[in-house]
Amino acid sequence: MNWSTAHTHLLVSTIFFGGGFLFAVLGLRSGKSRPTLRNLVVMGAGFLFQTLFLMAQGRLHGSCPITCVPEILIFVAWSMVLLYFVIGGGYRLSLLGVFTSPLVFLLQLFALLPGRLPTVATVRDGPVDYWVELHATVSLLSYGAFALAAVAGVMYLVQERLLSRRDIKTLFYQLPPINSLATAIFRLSLFGFIVLTIGLVSAFFMNEMPGPLKLVLICIVWLVYGALLLLQARRGLAPRTTAWAAALVFLLPLATLWVVGRR
Amino acid sequence: MHLLCLGINHRTAPVELRERLAVPEKAVPEAGREILAAGGIDECVVLSTCNRVEVYAAGPEAFSPEIVASQLRGHIDPEGRNRLDEALYRHSDREALRHLCRVVSGLDSMVLGETEIFGQVKKAYAGALESGFTGRLLNPLFQKIFQVGKAVRNETGIQHGSTSIGSVAVDLAEKIFGRLSKSRVMILGAGEMARTVSQSLVSRGAQGILVSNRSYDRALDLAGRMNAEAIRFDDWSSRIVDTDIVVCSTSAPHVLLTPDMVEPTLRARKGRPLFVIDIAVPRDADAALHDLDGVYLYDIDHLEAIAEEARVRRRHQLEDCEKLIENQIAEIAASRPEFSTFSL
Repeated sequence: MNWSTAHTHLLVSTIFFGGGFLFAVLGLRSGKSRPTLRNLVVMGAGFLFQTLFLMAQGRLHGSCPITCVPEILIFVAWSMVLLYFVIGGGYRLSLLGVFTSPLVFLLQLFALLPGRLPTVATVRDGPVDYWVELHATVSLLSYGAFALAAVAGVMYLVQERLLSRRDIKTLFYQLPPINSLATAIFRLSLFGFIVLTIGLVSAFFMNEMPGPLKLVLICIVWLVYGALLLLQARRGLAPRTTAWAAALVFLLPLATLWVVGRR
Repeated sequence: MHLLCLGINHRTAPVELRERLAVPEKAVPEAGREILAAGGIDECVVLSTCNRVEVYAAGPEAFSPEIVASQLRGHIDPEGRNRLDEALYRHSDREALRHLCRVVSGLDSMVLGETEIFGQVKKAYAGALESGFTGRLLNPLFQKIFQVGKAVRNETGIQHGSTSIGSVAVDLAEKIFGRLSKSRVMILGAGEMARTVSQSLVSRGAQGILVSNRSYDRALDLAGRMNAEAIRFDDWSSRIVDTDIVVCSTSAPHVLLTPDMVEPTLRARKGRPLFVIDIAVPRDADAALHDLDGVYLYDIDHLEAIAEEARVRRRHQLEDCEKLIENQIAEIAASRPEFSTFSL
């Protein structure tokens, strides 16, 4: 598979996510249609082309396609959509697509800017170190989970605000129950934390340990999410506080993505 | 094909007349047989609900509505017959089809956009089909009609939002807790409103219900009807910590549930929300409760405002529904040669 085919896959995927976002917003505004099934189909199609793109780039590099920032962003976006499908049930059958697709759309749009994506394989010093591959992949997967927890956090805050202001309109009926969102935030954060722990541990088995900056940043992210989960489990942190934390704390992994994604 | 609709509904006839004309479920086959036996009509469906009694009759040739009208008259006393003649509406061909489309879509219902009528029409048709009262004319037509009902439901907002206080309260509870099967409910008061709201909650799966009332006997009575637990009125406040939904409906002249009672329980609740439905007048719950983190208080005015907003929204959807029905009628008319009588 050559560059142009991979590029087309990414473009098609981005169009699907953009379309999904547009459909859902239009459905919401009119209050006439349920965007759920249509969103699901569009997200599925976007995910398929996303996967095809990552497979093509993986073949090009002969390793996990996370060799530069645009590829990292697409990998995180892919993880988000994967989790979106895995979580399922009441969480997915909602407006999650509306809240997830713009983020995925923007991440991919950025990656599509001319000259950003590599068209030739990354030069490697030696054979593939599978601990490096595992470390990078699961670390980014955990970032996808944290991103989705942040999305769920925003949804919680919107729904909670509507309830508190007694503003019971179309959007209120479309959003999931706040209890389900609170559970989703906890589960996604926990999943991200477990996966990040695996990523962190795998770093110690690599032929060449990651640089100190990268290691410190991962440890900070790990500690912050660990503390958040501990507070939730032990002290019953108020759901509103948890939602704010999930939305705001995600800025930390987002800011460190550039460093953490590197091999 | 010629189609006739003849009947009375909640707009044209008071309940005294509707109940006199109503056809009990078991008597529907007999009523259908009588109509067909009168001659001139090949097929028919009898629809009898609490808000309407209607006969849909069809035949390949035009026939007089009087055939059906006289059958209906025969079911009530002479005094009622005069009132029936005034209340009876007759629609034929395209008008009858439009009426049936509106009925099945809930546009002709007392509560605009209600869904129950769809099932009632389906049941009436299924009964007629089973009795052999429908055939090559009404069978394909009713299939089309059900598609129209689904299209109106899915493509417009006619069924969005709840229009009664009970259903608004239950919708809100579901938007806070999700499935209510794990929610614990406490009902303060044992009056009619408390019963209505709690039955709505039970119908959506609420379990673990506590009932408390000043008169313990009445609490026991209500609890017995809902498979709930009755508790003494002196004890209810100590159970708040384990409760998710409180329905306040007592006739107490003063506030019963205050922030001072709920605030100390918040820590033990570990972030679990508390939903207070206050349908009592004067109110049972202090308005300041709503300011507490994780506590949502909706009184009768809030609930009524939400219900009214939904009713207004549904009314705004009427025009879209009517347009959709007109398009669907045109499609039905063009779908089969025998349906050409439905074209303009």
